[in-house]
Amino acid sequence: MNWFQYVFAGWFVYIALLVFIGGLIWQVVKWRRVAKSRIIMGMFPKPANLGARFAKMLKDTFFFPWVLDYSKSIWLFAGAFHLAGLLMFVGHLRLIHEFTPLVSWLGANGMDQFAFLTGGAFGIVLTVALIYLLLRRFGTPYKDLSVPEDYLLLILLLLIVTMGNHLRFFGTVHVTDYRDYVMSLLAFKPAFNAAILSSNVPWSLTTHVMLACAFLIYFPFSKLVHSIGAFASNLVRSE
Amino acid sequence: MTPQANARAELLELINSKMNRTLKYYLDTCVRCAICKDACHQYVATGDVLYLPAYRAELIRRIYKKYMTGSGRLMPKLFEGRDPEDDVLLDELYKTTYACTSCRRCMFWCPFSIDTSWVLAVAKALLLATGRGSEILTQLADSAIDKGKNIDLYTGVIREVLKGSEEEMRRVVQDPNAGFVYDKKGADVLYVALAGTHTILPAAIIFHEAGEDWTLSSFEGSNYGYFLGDTVKAKEIAQRIVDEAKNLGVKEIVMSECGHAHRVMRDFYRMWAKEELPAPMVSVLSKVDGYIKDGRITVTPGKITEPVTYHDPCQIGRNFGLFEEPRNIIRATCSDFRDMTPNRQKQWCCGGGGGLVAETEFDDVRLKSGRLKADQIKATGASILVTPCENCRLQIESLNDEYNLDIEVSAVLDLVVKALVTKST
Repeated sequence: MNWFQYVFAGWFVYIALLVFIGGLIWQVVKWRRVAKSRIIMGMFPKPANLGARFAKMLKDTFFFPWVLDYSKSIWLFAGAFHLAGLLMFVGHLRLIHEFTPLVSWLGANGMDQFAFLTGGAFGIVLTVALIYLLLRRFGTPYKDLSVPEDYLLLILLLLIVTMGNHLRFFGTVHVTDYRDYVMSLLAFKPAFNAAILSSNVPWSLTTHVMLACAFLIYFPFSKLVHSIGAFASNLVRSE
Repeated sequence: MTPQANARAELLELINSKMNRTLKYYLDTCVRCAICKDACHQYVATGDVLYLPAYRAELIRRIYKKYMTGSGRLMPKLFEGRDPEDDVLLDELYKTTYACTSCRRCMFWCPFSIDTSWVLAVAKALLLATGRGSEILTQLADSAIDKGKNIDLYTGVIREVLKGSEEEMRRVVQDPNAGFVYDKKGADVLYVALAGTHTILPAAIIFHEAGEDWTLSSFEGSNYGYFLGDTVKAKEIAQRIVDEAKNLGVKEIVMSECGHAHRVMRDFYRMWAKEELPAPMVSVLSKVDGYIKDGRITVTPGKITEPVTYHDPCQIGRNFGLFEEPRNIIRATCSDFRDMTPNRQKQWCCGGGGGLVAETEFDDVRLKSGRLKADQIKATGASILVTPCENCRLQIESLNDEYNLDIEVSAVLDLVVKALVTKST
């Protein structure tokens, strides 16, 4: 690792995780510190009890069923974008620990093929959805509503995903080598092994990690807090 | 501090004083996806971004971001941060805020259930503080407060004017002793009507026939202080009825067919006054639906044979929860009831709420945005439109002319009176 890689694919990761987790906690604390509204402002019809309210809140948050009523394309792209993002995150966990049940079912080769297909597919879905969401911002009335933050986040994500696609489709490095890198991070001794250093990925891997860290750092201070705020505000809906 | 900085600090302090947890969720959570655009009748009818719900709230959010969040203070440009004393911003805010009918249809479709009208309540406070409150709404609110202070000057005149209606009531119920009941201590029901005997007479006839122990409020349920967004005035206006209910010791406050008055009494008064109502507030729709079900009054089923459709006022349906009671009454009295599409919680706003029918400066957007409702009404082929909200009725009357709907606009209780089998017969 050169110094740039050591800083931005190494120590930056720790800073990013600290800011991300601390920032989200801070955001929740900020919400909790403001007095609750004295007024009940939910809309009707309302669920009968707290259990039904939570069920409705989870359904509204994860499936946003009403959006389907209005625009199938935005429901599809937003849904595909969030789902692919989530599954992509789950896929990355393989770099911390191999999904052994899947390996024993598919075999080592089968697992690699499976990872290539799913990871590749999610990468493409994310790229397409991000381009759609970005282009949409330039049309009327979205451009009048949008603020620089909206473009910044989409471009940042698009760059992260593009780097990821490079690693996936053009990289010559095997999963075990990436796992070595993640393990080195977990051991607080960030390092790329010889296989990574001699491959064609150090620049894209470093950029991928660095931008992902920037994304995590910005996350708690941006509109991305909708990822936790959605649960709260959708619960208020049935208050 | 310079005077400008001083003014800014005061306005920011005002916004801060309106802040609560729910509002903060709304301000922090919006992703500007603009899914709300298709929910707002004003945006759909005009295509003007000014009426896009997320944009309306965004004007307040841009101040909030710049002055009340760390990231916005650090990088205001990233959020297009704005200043609360900015004239351009305030002008835009005026147009979009007082045009909003608070129907909360955008909240229904928002993936985060953001209540734009709540964010606009802050906008109204800001506009009032900068001397930009709606003039006509201010006048109407002030005259209501004035009436509360000098009620003795009013009651004599009002009761004199209502004598003709009492005559009409006696003719319908064929009881020479029937009449409006005033100032009755310990009555079961305090009936709160609106200005105008059309909101009193049908209820009085029904109460008489049901043998209800009722008394008529000296005050009207409508609250222009609420539309204005001035919570002090709004509370004072609602307080008149609350004090009256306390003095008379009534068991229930029954609200006439008026959308926002339902919510003001049940939901908002508690917040403004920090006290509970002296008696529960009940909608006259629930009351009359109950009379029919319990056999306290008799109506001729299917008495009204013309095709009838029903418009859910946003403040009575989506925002108050009465969907079936008015429909029950219609089904009990009409033989051809045709619901609109969409209906109930998805009902389009008529375009006249939020005090808009009183604010002539918004006539253009009001009539344009009513096109959606007009199309809905036409599609039913109904010749009578029933709706239990005065603002909705006034708006649909104007749509009747504007879009040649050729319909008769009726209140729900009018149907009951038409189909009523009086005890004297």
